[in-house]
Amino acid sequence: MKSKKFNFNFALGALFLVLFIAIGLKTPNFFKPDYLVNVMLRNIIELGMIALPVTLVVITGGIDLSLGSIATLSGIIGGMSYKATGSGILAVILVLLVGLACGWFNSLLVTKLNIPAMVTTLATLYLFQGIARGITQGNSVYAFPAAKWLGNFEIGSFPIQIIFYIVLAVFFVLLLSRTYYGKYLYAIGHNEIASRFDGINTVRCKMIAYILSGLMSAFAGMIMLGRFSSMKYTAGDGMNLKVVTIIVLGGTSINGGVGSMVGTIIATLIIAVLNSGLTVLNIPIDVQTIVQGSVLLISLITYAIIEKRNLSHKRHEVSKAVKTA
Amino acid sequence: MPSEMTLGLFVVIIFALLCVVAKDFGSVNNIMSILNRFSYILIASIGMNIIMITGNIDVSFGGVISVMCILMAFIGKKGAPIYAFMPAAMLCGAILCMFNGLLITKLRIPAIVATLATTQIYAGALPLMIEGSIYDLPASFTWLAFEAKVFKFVPLSVILALILLVIALLFMKYSRFFKSLYAIGNNVKSARLAGINVDRTIIITYAIAGLILGVAATIIATAGQRVTTTMGAGMEMTFIAAVVVGGTSVTGGSGSILGTAFGSLLLSIIAPALYHLGISDSWSTAVMGAIIIIAVSVGALKGVRRKRTDRAKEA
Repeated sequence: MKSKKFNFNFALGALFLVLFIAIGLKTPNFFKPDYLVNVMLRNIIELGMIALPVTLVVITGGIDLSLGSIATLSGIIGGMSYKATGSGILAVILVLLVGLACGWFNSLLVTKLNIPAMVTTLATLYLFQGIARGITQGNSVYAFPAAKWLGNFEIGSFPIQIIFYIVLAVFFVLLLSRTYYGKYLYAIGHNEIASRFDGINTVRCKMIAYILSGLMSAFAGMIMLGRFSSMKYTAGDGMNLKVVTIIVLGGTSINGGVGSMVGTIIATLIIAVLNSGLTVLNIPIDVQTIVQGSVLLISLITYAIIEKRNLSHKRHEVSKAVKTA
Repeated sequence: MPSEMTLGLFVVIIFALLCVVAKDFGSVNNIMSILNRFSYILIASIGMNIIMITGNIDVSFGGVISVMCILMAFIGKKGAPIYAFMPAAMLCGAILCMFNGLLITKLRIPAIVATLATTQIYAGALPLMIEGSIYDLPASFTWLAFEAKVFKFVPLSVILALILLVIALLFMKYSRFFKSLYAIGNNVKSARLAGINVDRTIIITYAIAGLILGVAATIIATAGQRVTTTMGAGMEMTFIAAVVVGGTSVTGGSGSILGTAFGSLLLSIIAPALYHLGISDSWSTAVMGAIIIIAVSVGALKGVRRKRTDRAKEA
């Protein structure tokens, strides 16, 4: 089982390299370090960051579709509070608090009321976005100092948000693979009732995952606000689909129980190459939307086929064992 | 009192209150625009309802409506009458929704993810084929919205919606096929053991939903002489809300068309109600989201309580 997982991430890495080199050979500008860092990586950071905790949610068998709305709502509230009070620290605290509250609200509906995660977060997707639309009356909100710093500061021409991403990525890889909490998440995804009888506090584990994804969405929203220097309530539209695409492409099963954080990180890089590659090849944005959707569908179909084959293989082995017995 | 009737009473009371509080709310113009909204929300929600009873969902309804609207405008631009472009739209809807059904059943992709992906593909493909919108459509295109009145007063679209409602109610009550939808929603495995061809049933359900969605799209498209590529974007949320408010369980297995009809009525008066109460239109998305959450939570709490009383009885 372990060697198989390694092979899978290896295959993803190979796919990344092939895409990277193919696009680079077609347009040599692509290989310039400046382009790679400032266009390819910088544009994917927010999505990549949100994909980390949402991978945890998906492994438990849940999903979070409201992440884009959480990002815009928290960014907008931060910007508005800065405009009203002039306090940068208050703005940062508010951003993170809003993210925490949204994640907590999602987790409450999912764990305490047992409403399916898809429906819960589909409804809160509209609720949070609607609140953002209502309080801004559809107008743009402008960045505050901390957001500007997160979105634009560079250490020797290396954007600060990439460093944040690397630190967070390492943290989440360790969280999922080296802690009990990570193991519990897999157990919950496999069989929630059995893991509850095993003494795992499933409610708390799931709540932590949703709250982490709310928090991280808020943090990413702050970066997004800084990078674009202004934000409207529609800024997070379609982010949920992109994040789900990254996670599914990374080998995490949408049904829960299977997945890896490293896979998510490599998939983030693949989507980054794809997006910036299509841009550099002058392919219109609408085609890019189709490509996004197709990548998601193709990876879903591929995993469905793999899973089916594994299942029939297993059945075959079981029937063989029964016969010999 | 059955829960649909409670909801119906609630809607009527809200309607009456609004007529008293806001003066223009009861005006003929306003009622007509509410009825127009009600007719297409109801038709589309019936389709959404039969899908949700099986425990699935389709969030690509908005995208499919956009596709159908553009298709109808394309045909209608040459002066084709409604009985030419409406069947075309219905057929197109049936094919697109059936594709969703195939992805869900044959490849075991969760409904919400599969339909999110197809939404994305439609949203990306439409602007490539059409630049923004199709405009200057002939007057014959808008016949349904402006001229088609029964007894020179009641819009034909409302009659159409009510006829579909009655047909749906009859089928839900007497058809074996629609009974099997509840069985699938309750427990797929036992439905299969009971001899129901689950995959085929779900695919047909999606196709039927797409077929009647074509009627809803016709009402939406013919409202003006210009059809844009984002005509249906985001509408799926209204339909899901109408179904959920109507008491259909989001996990499948229960729900009634009558509840959905009252849910549609409630959803179609929200936007005009906000307008007449002087609340900015910007809040309508938030109100919609909140209504869904409240409806779903009430349903979930009922379930929790029922479980508790069941357990108490057993003890």
